[in-house]
Amino acid sequence: MTEVTHATGHHEAEHAAPPQGWHRWTAGGWLRALWMAPLFAGIGLGIVLFFRWLGHWHPLFEWNTIVVVAFLTALPLGFLAGIGAFDYWVRYALGAPTQPEDHSGHGARSWKDYFRVNTDHKVIGIQYLSTVFVFFIVGGLLAMLVRGELARPGLQYTDAQGFNGLFTLHATLMIFLFIIPAFAGIANYVVPLMLGAPDMAFPRLNALSFWLLPIAGLILVGSFFAPGGPPAAGWTGYASLSTHQPMGTLFFNMAVQWAGASSIMTALNFLVTIITMRAPGMTFWRMPLLVWANFTTSLLVVIATPFIAGSQFFVMFDRILHTHFFDPHHGGNVIAYQHIFWFYSHPAVYIMILPGFGIISEVISVFARKPIFGYRLMALSLLAILVLGFSVWAHHMFVSGMASYLRVPMMITTLLIAVPTGVKVFNWLATLWEGRIHLQTPMLWALGFISTFVIGGLSGVYLGAVPIDIHMSDTYFIVAHIHYVLFGGAFFTIMAGIYFWFPKMTGRMYNETLGKWHFWLTFVAFNLTFFPMHLIGTQGMPRRVADYAPKFADWNFFISVCSFALGASVIIFFYNIIHSWRYGPLAGDNPWRSLTLEWQVTSPPPVFNFDEIPQVVGNPYEYGVPGARHALLNGARTHELEEVGH
Amino acid sequence: MRVSRGAAIQLVLLALVAGGITTAVALFPRWLPLEASKQAHRIDFVIWYVTIICIVIYAIVVGLLSYSVLHFRAAPDDESDGPPTHGSTRLEFAWTAIPFLIVTSIAIVCAIVLARNDSAGATPLHVDVTAQQFAWSFKYPESNSVTSTTLRLPVGRTTVLDMTSLDVIHAFFVPEFRQNEDVVPGTTTHLVVTPTRIGTYPLICNELCGLGHTTMRSTVVVMSQADFDTWVKSQGKATATGGATGGKAVFVNNGCIACHTLKAAGATGKIGPDLDNLPSYAAHFHQPLDVFIRTQVTHPDTFHQPGFPTGVMPHTFAALPKAQLDALIQFLIASSKGGK
Amino acid sequence: MLLFIASEVMLFGSFFTAYFFVRVVNGYSWPPPGFELPKYVAGINTAILVTSSFTVHWALQSIRRGNRRGMQAGLVLTFLMGLTFLLTQMIEYARVGFAPHDNAFTTIFFCLTGLHGAHVFVGLTILAFATTRAFRGHFSAEHHYGVEIPGIYWHFVDVMWIVVYATVYLL
Repeated sequence: MTEVTHATGHHEAEHAAPPQGWHRWTAGGWLRALWMAPLFAGIGLGIVLFFRWLGHWHPLFEWNTIVVVAFLTALPLGFLAGIGAFDYWVRYALGAPTQPEDHSGHGARSWKDYFRVNTDHKVIGIQYLSTVFVFFIVGGLLAMLVRGELARPGLQYTDAQGFNGLFTLHATLMIFLFIIPAFAGIANYVVPLMLGAPDMAFPRLNALSFWLLPIAGLILVGSFFAPGGPPAAGWTGYASLSTHQPMGTLFFNMAVQWAGASSIMTALNFLVTIITMRAPGMTFWRMPLLVWANFTTSLLVVIATPFIAGSQFFVMFDRILHTHFFDPHHGGNVIAYQHIFWFYSHPAVYIMILPGFGIISEVISVFARKPIFGYRLMALSLLAILVLGFSVWAHHMFVSGMASYLRVPMMITTLLIAVPTGVKVFNWLATLWEGRIHLQTPMLWALGFISTFVIGGLSGVYLGAVPIDIHMSDTYFIVAHIHYVLFGGAFFTIMAGIYFWFPKMTGRMYNETLGKWHFWLTFVAFNLTFFPMHLIGTQGMPRRVADYAPKFADWNFFISVCSFALGASVIIFFYNIIHSWRYGPLAGDNPWRSLTLEWQVTSPPPVFNFDEIPQVVGNPYEYGVPGARHALLNGARTHELEEVGH
Repeated sequence: MRVSRGAAIQLVLLALVAGGITTAVALFPRWLPLEASKQAHRIDFVIWYVTIICIVIYAIVVGLLSYSVLHFRAAPDDESDGPPTHGSTRLEFAWTAIPFLIVTSIAIVCAIVLARNDSAGATPLHVDVTAQQFAWSFKYPESNSVTSTTLRLPVGRTTVLDMTSLDVIHAFFVPEFRQNEDVVPGTTTHLVVTPTRIGTYPLICNELCGLGHTTMRSTVVVMSQADFDTWVKSQGKATATGGATGGKAVFVNNGCIACHTLKAAGATGKIGPDLDNLPSYAAHFHQPLDVFIRTQVTHPDTFHQPGFPTGVMPHTFAALPKAQLDALIQFLIASSKGGK
Repeated sequence: MLLFIASEVMLFGSFFTAYFFVRVVNGYSWPPPGFELPKYVAGINTAILVTSSFTVHWALQSIRRGNRRGMQAGLVLTFLMGLTFLLTQMIEYARVGFAPHDNAFTTIFFCLTGLHGAHVFVGLTILAFATTRAFRGHFSAEHHYGVEIPGIYWHFVDVMWIVVYATVYLL
């Protein structure tokens, strides 16, 4: 007879005493980072000066190189070393005896544990989510400034270069510092729980990959102080504009590297965790769709992200080393940048939506009390989007002057990718059919998502048609499309996910009335803000302009006013989350009566998630089948095995 | 998954309402600018073709969504589950195959339109388009290389625009023509336009090119063939003569008006310094006026005017023919001294 | 490690894409007139690097069979050969007679070989850790991930060099 055993070696009571006296300055943490960061920056500065002296290059203090090496590379490395992100590996490298059961960096007992290098995936998930919302606010305020400037014709309070910087940073922050890491945060929290695993495969790597993110964000926000202003070549940073911009562009180049590195590390972690750490009995066809979605997203990240790293390296080299990647006068090719950039950035948009698809599948299934319709095809459609997603990048370049024979094949693959996406929408609708629909806040976001994402997807069909794209390219139609798929798409799914898992993460329930107000205000303001952009776009208003022809004035004013309402709606969200986190009613283990594994443990879960390894016996969406179980745990396994007579 | 007749009727009604609203949205606002070229006509056809498909699809989605929310809503205390329907291979096949056929049809229509829009015919008019930060200039190689800063085209004649940039990527976009293409340094891109309507249309730079992107505009004037020929002749005369009149043409034709203010040329640009104040700038830098102007035109940023960015004024004017450069400088000297 | 290598292969891929655009799309002559590539020295370097893959494999096989001396010898040899490769590369950089900022050809040459060189440097660092630990008595016939993982990375570096050498120097 098998015994229920508790996982061994979890020294929860054992916690190293906090360092005293001057040891506080040498133990991993913020105090050590305070001196290590400037030290590393100084070393970086020294390296630059040494090599420039050695090579007799003038001037000695070449600020572009110094900023990149000392402040954008060495200083962050010093910060990371200081807070202790590398400690374990350094000890390993130096040959010191390793302590495999050292869990002193794991778990959270007080708010301070959220501000240090922590190996607990649940803590890291919350660290991610808190950080990304800070940058969401900054990016959102930049958007408000953009809309404020555009509310009337003429230049109101920015100059042209400043305006270019505003929308560049808005997009860069929202894409790299909000959407992509928000999904990473939600997945970090939920996926190991859904798999029945005690944590991710590489918890220390997980911790490191989180800490790269605030570095990227601070670099971008810090770019406001660069001489010449923030990066102003658009988040797409096309050469050869970006290779001739002031220093702010370097901040963009480096921030993308840090964010990209974070993304790749997280993706590697997810892939290994999903492949090797599923609970016994959890075949690939018994994984929840959120896990499938993160699996495919992680594959996309690992394969595609190095290309944007490469593209930004080339821009940096062209600027600092005066190389000629994109210099047509010396044999370089300007359009090459776009190919390299979009080869990542198109899969990036799938990175920004596939996890959202996973979240929606979870939410709809639970709130319609029905299995996901067509589970296998849903998983396969994710894989189809993964594969096809690598074949469509040049649809961003239909009017770029690239080889014209590329246009029709890219159009075909682009239109084809609408098919698996459409399959997913129809499957969700079929899941709703004859369900028992409960319209709580997460479900409202999911249903709102379907209506807005379909609009965004259909506007994408317009843009996939080359002749239409020729007219609409770089107009406000594109801005409308982007925001319908990223805001009405990805953001709505992030909201659905946060409201859905809020009780699990905090142990408390959010305020449902406020949640509904938040949803409806956002939904209405969002549509009023962005739908008219389709119209002014087709009428010929270009994007990325600080001023426009007078005939667009009325619509721009209307859009700006609605955008302020949209901006205000997030206040309700923050109030709800913060207030409920402290004072909300206790939520219990499984307020949504879901079958997946994360809901079978306490809210919040124990430090190592499960007291015993769960045994998965069925698929995760067996609603409507009396007695169906996804997994057996908490002694139920032994009990049932006894009943069956083992 | 049986659907009762009542349910089907309600579903269809909901879809029709959704479709009706969507159709109204598609028909009532003026979505597209005036159609002023043959290419526009074909592109508009594709737009409407796709629009009809999208209306149908959206109506179905919204119909299903609203029907479900209305009819399958559970009471708050209802803890029961729905039926454990896992899928239906027939439905899956249907909603994979039908969209596949739809997008294939769109691809075919588009490929045909693209081929037609790209074909320049037997004897197109060729115009060289040069984009630089932040002005457009046009040259007519078949007409003795006449230059202009506005694009003049004869109606009804297919024109091929051969475009290149002197610095960063720009884009040539005329909404009424529906034609749009990037203008790239180091290579020549091409655009085919067959104007069908006489009139004046805005030319917009459609690719972020720096701080003057918003103001990098010009106009396209479509005229009858006769008027076009007349214009070409008179434009040729204007740029050929030297002296102050010629200098004004050089000033206008090289895009200076995009960035500078100068009363004598009717220029109101704000990106660069106000050239009506040239004498005071020269005095500030202790330079004789003619030396100052010549230096700044041929070697921009030698004297940095505070409050204005460096690295923006093109360095290409040093390559102007000597006669044109002299005429330009004369013109600037005369204008800034208060002359007309 | 294999997934990480997939990611690194893609990074090289982006650099090769740039090479493709310069050489194939732009039709830039390779090398352009007046520029020469040190094919023979690089060829010897290639031989050294390929041999070092064999020595690191020998190190892994040794420890699998419990042969500590073989593992230590293999790791030391691999490290020394890798170091030779890197130093030779740096000397060639100084002697090649052109700079990255000359034209697109020199840009791609320095950046592609430089990217590879950076990876060799990382590989040498990892090998240094493994070698140090090997001499400190770590690793056994049962536990030798610390030799296997650096070995995989080193093989990647070697294979990548063959591709880089072939495209940049030979083709």
